[in-house]
Amino acid sequence: MKRILVIVSVLILAVVLLLLSYGRWNNASPSKTCAGCHEISHSVDLWAESTHRDIQCKSCHGTALSEGIHSLREKGVMLFHHNRKMKPEDVRISESQRLAVMGKCVACHRAESSKWNSGGHTMNYSEVFLNGEHNKQEAINDDCLRCHGMFYDGKSVAGIVEPLDTSGPWKLKNAGLKDRPAIPCFACHQVHKTGTPGKRPVLDTPSSLHYARADQKLESFYYRRSEMYFPVTVLSTPGINYQSSLVRVSDDPGQRLCIQCHSPNAFNMSGTADDRTPRGVHEGISCLACHDPHSNSAMASCKNCHPAISNCKLDVEKMNTTFADRSSTNNIHFVACTDCHVKGRPAKKL
Amino acid sequence: MANKRVNAVVVGAGAGGGVVAKELATGGLSVVLIERGRWHSYDEHGDDELTSQRTFPLKCGFGPDNERNWRMSPDGKNGWVKVFPNQWSYGNNAACVGSGTVSYGAMAWRFQPDDFRLKSKYGAVPGSTLEDWPLTYEEIEPFYEKAEYEIGVAGDPTNDPFVPPRKKPYPMPAFSLNGEGIILEKAAWRLGLHPFPIPMLRNSVPYNGRPACIRMRTCVGYACPVGAKAGTQNTVIPAALKTGNCELRINCMVSEIMIDDKGRAKGVRYFDADNRLQEQVSDIVVVSASASESARLLLNSRSRLFPAGAGNNNGWVGRNIQDHAYAGAYGLFEEEVYDDVGPGACIAVNDFNHRIPGIIGGGVLCNEFIRMPYQFTSIRPRNSKMWGIEHKDFQKRYFRRHIAVHGPAQEMPVFDKKVEVDPVVRDFWGIPVARISGSRHDNDIKAGRFLAEKAEEWLKEAGAVSTWQAVPGKESTPSQHQSGTCRMGNDPATSVTNKFGQLHEIDNVFIADGSLHVNNGGYNPALTILALGYWVGGHIIDMWKGTKMK
Amino acid sequence: MISRREFVRITTAAGAAMLVSFNTSCRNKISRWRFLTGEEISLLDAIVEQIIPTDDFPGGRWANVSNFIDRQLDSYYRKHQVAYREGLSAMGMTVFQLKGRKFEELPFAEQTDMMEMMESGTFPGDYWEEHSPAGFFNMLRDHSLQGFYGSPVHGGNREYISYRMLGLDYPNIIGQNRYKDLSWRIYDAKSPANGK
Repeated sequence: MKRILVIVSVLILAVVLLLLSYGRWNNASPSKTCAGCHEISHSVDLWAESTHRDIQCKSCHGTALSEGIHSLREKGVMLFHHNRKMKPEDVRISESQRLAVMGKCVACHRAESSKWNSGGHTMNYSEVFLNGEHNKQEAINDDCLRCHGMFYDGKSVAGIVEPLDTSGPWKLKNAGLKDRPAIPCFACHQVHKTGTPGKRPVLDTPSSLHYARADQKLESFYYRRSEMYFPVTVLSTPGINYQSSLVRVSDDPGQRLCIQCHSPNAFNMSGTADDRTPRGVHEGISCLACHDPHSNSAMASCKNCHPAISNCKLDVEKMNTTFADRSSTNNIHFVACTDCHVKGRPAKKL
Repeated sequence: MANKRVNAVVVGAGAGGGVVAKELATGGLSVVLIERGRWHSYDEHGDDELTSQRTFPLKCGFGPDNERNWRMSPDGKNGWVKVFPNQWSYGNNAACVGSGTVSYGAMAWRFQPDDFRLKSKYGAVPGSTLEDWPLTYEEIEPFYEKAEYEIGVAGDPTNDPFVPPRKKPYPMPAFSLNGEGIILEKAAWRLGLHPFPIPMLRNSVPYNGRPACIRMRTCVGYACPVGAKAGTQNTVIPAALKTGNCELRINCMVSEIMIDDKGRAKGVRYFDADNRLQEQVSDIVVVSASASESARLLLNSRSRLFPAGAGNNNGWVGRNIQDHAYAGAYGLFEEEVYDDVGPGACIAVNDFNHRIPGIIGGGVLCNEFIRMPYQFTSIRPRNSKMWGIEHKDFQKRYFRRHIAVHGPAQEMPVFDKKVEVDPVVRDFWGIPVARISGSRHDNDIKAGRFLAEKAEEWLKEAGAVSTWQAVPGKESTPSQHQSGTCRMGNDPATSVTNKFGQLHEIDNVFIADGSLHVNNGGYNPALTILALGYWVGGHIIDMWKGTKMK
Repeated sequence: MISRREFVRITTAAGAAMLVSFNTSCRNKISRWRFLTGEEISLLDAIVEQIIPTDDFPGGRWANVSNFIDRQLDSYYRKHQVAYREGLSAMGMTVFQLKGRKFEELPFAEQTDMMEMMESGTFPGDYWEEHSPAGFFNMLRDHSLQGFYGSPVHGGNREYISYRMLGLDYPNIIGQNRYKDLSWRIYDAKSPANGK
């Protein structure tokens, strides 16, 4: 009897100690906890200088136990590798962990998230990889992962979909992949990156309001081939050419992200492949001058620059371009005055 | 558990082995295709220059690995030194499903008709075992065609007056030229040469269910991101597996061919993926492990009747190893000539193949595949400073302002340029390792110098303000173009196989890779190896129909 | 059957051990480097800056070339560990003997002189046993160039700086392939653009 009492009290003591210890651990500064692992310290260093530095690791990544048995197993494996001196250079979180973190992004950035959900980039794996119209024209290949499913854990697109030919019918190898977002927030946003936390704008000096977010740029392109982010500031603006002369391309760093996927062919010829770099009347304008970065809607953009009625006395939004009608032969990205005024631009009507 | 007996074991899933496995499997034979490497995807390699198959200081990305494979190489002091796959003196060829055809540049050359009758054309060459092939160009032509159509070649011979005769056009149109290709093409016409686009085992338009090329800069040395580059891994090997008659066993290292008391092969012994010794019994053994490793396997298969190795009673196995005496020139330009349109190599001239007084053979001249930044650090005129600010200035100024023109000068077979097995040193599995030694024939150096001179003239005409030549040396270790170690021939005294790749001494062992080449032409050998795969495979099927190889 | 006392002791010890491990882990032992020491790195930083100096583009030091080398010495280049340990120490000692100062403290031009002596074989080899100064120099040069021009996945070429220096776009931009515009793909043997 006495023995059982002792055993029980010792067990209780142990549990209490563990809980205390775990509680303390969870509330300690990340520099004392997460960064204690060599493999994680680099990420913590980056976080400590980032826009989200005031938000604790666990707010996005959860605690060491939030994934239950999976967490324990993962940490166990890390410890095992660590002790065997098999140290990875950097921690990598799995695709499902990324998506869990993405849920936390959405919880705060609600407005951006609902804009995103209304736009054309909100595609999931089944919409991308099972698109028969596309798959009939070109066999699915590993390069697809450059812009869709870039965080997929496997080592080939062959793990996502089969068959990899142009005859189909195509199906996902694992039905559970169906609803995975193919372009998650992290495709374009690098969270562990230098920045300053957002603060309320100073309304006393309205003229400086637009500077308030100037250094908040998180836009980076995640490039699967080297498993690295490239900040927009180092991405290239290719020299697009049309009829053997160079097209003037906006120097807006933001649009360098767009062209990473909306790219021309290897000869950088304007309008080839997925290129939408503006030419013609809109030459030199940034994608983001018309498109909202999250919803990518351009519906309300004309009036940013145009009076509603053009020099030709036409409503700009109703002119014969793909803006008004998708089936028009005048692509809004490339349309030139002379496409309609075949004899040259008429004199201004007053 | 013992492996089930099969009709044929094919050792090595590269260019030759992949084709043979598919021919046998579609012909109804049960086949086990054994490969020491594994499948590779583009996605796991990306475009990392330091682990590519072109520059590999860290490792050879497509195998073999340094941990289990090594060879011996002359140390220059009459001794031997241990060398690893990512050293040039090892003489590496990729080890994976598809082998070199995963990461090659994919030039698709037919040898010239004269390459098959070199001795008749030029006479005996002192210091060389030069011989005619036992088969003629006319005999192999249908098999070249089959390779071009089944694997997929893009080309256009319109402007090449020296093109080997062909019955059908290429299945795909040729690739457009990149910027430097256009510059070189114009210069070649001005010089009176005959430039034409290089035929490529790469889709210029969608073909055989695979997409067209996207013109990446990292092509040679890397896997293809879209699968436009054709290798056996994305054509004939999947076709073989689809028949249901072929089983592919990866990560398996064959150690010997088992020979019975009557002097016939009864299968192979190999180490499986868990390094356990296994036996696979079969009616036929096809060896297609590359010129060095095929020879090594035969030499390591010693038995009572073949004490010096399978099929080696005449001592010719492993002899006459050849590659190419690569030669060429570099040119520096005032203006940018680089337009980042891959893979780089696109334009060629055939004017210097068999048309050079005083030189046997010769070779094609082509512009070179794109040199990536680390590779470019070693491209310098003689006596340049290779580090410091001079190094950096050169990199910055000339990376986009240089062109390279190179060609594979044909090598003469030399009996003492050879693959042996080391009497002492063994690899990870305990299999005696290969050692490769011997020097080039003087003709190779002469041919190389000639090609380098012509390359330099071409670059000067194209507007290069400064040029220098790169010429072959006497010493070399055959690597990605290795060939000739089990040559075919009509005379069993001076060759290893008959004209069908069947060992003279063991009638149920066949060779199907570059080892069969009597000489290696003045061209990249991949298409010839593929064609020989169809040739050998087809003849095995014919023989099987009559006798079942009993 | 263990005694009660023993059981209590083991449980307390285990609890204490867990507490300790939770609260200390091994953060005190963190070094940025894997094989090389901080001192070796500061010499190596000066060396890689000699091989690839800073001009209007950053040099080897900024590009993390030393990090590349340290990382390889802990993986692909384990076989060169001895050469580096011996070479860096021998080089450091020789320079100190010749100049009375550490290599990394010398003016840039004097460092260059030292490097040239090593390359040409006129550098004193007294402190070397297994390798020569010239052999070590060649290894340093090769590895530095690999670190500066190779992929950043190996720890060097920070932000692909060398690619930007060469005017080589990275990530390189090539669009999808499914559009049926063939003219740019295909060679036309009859075209006057081909110069015939």
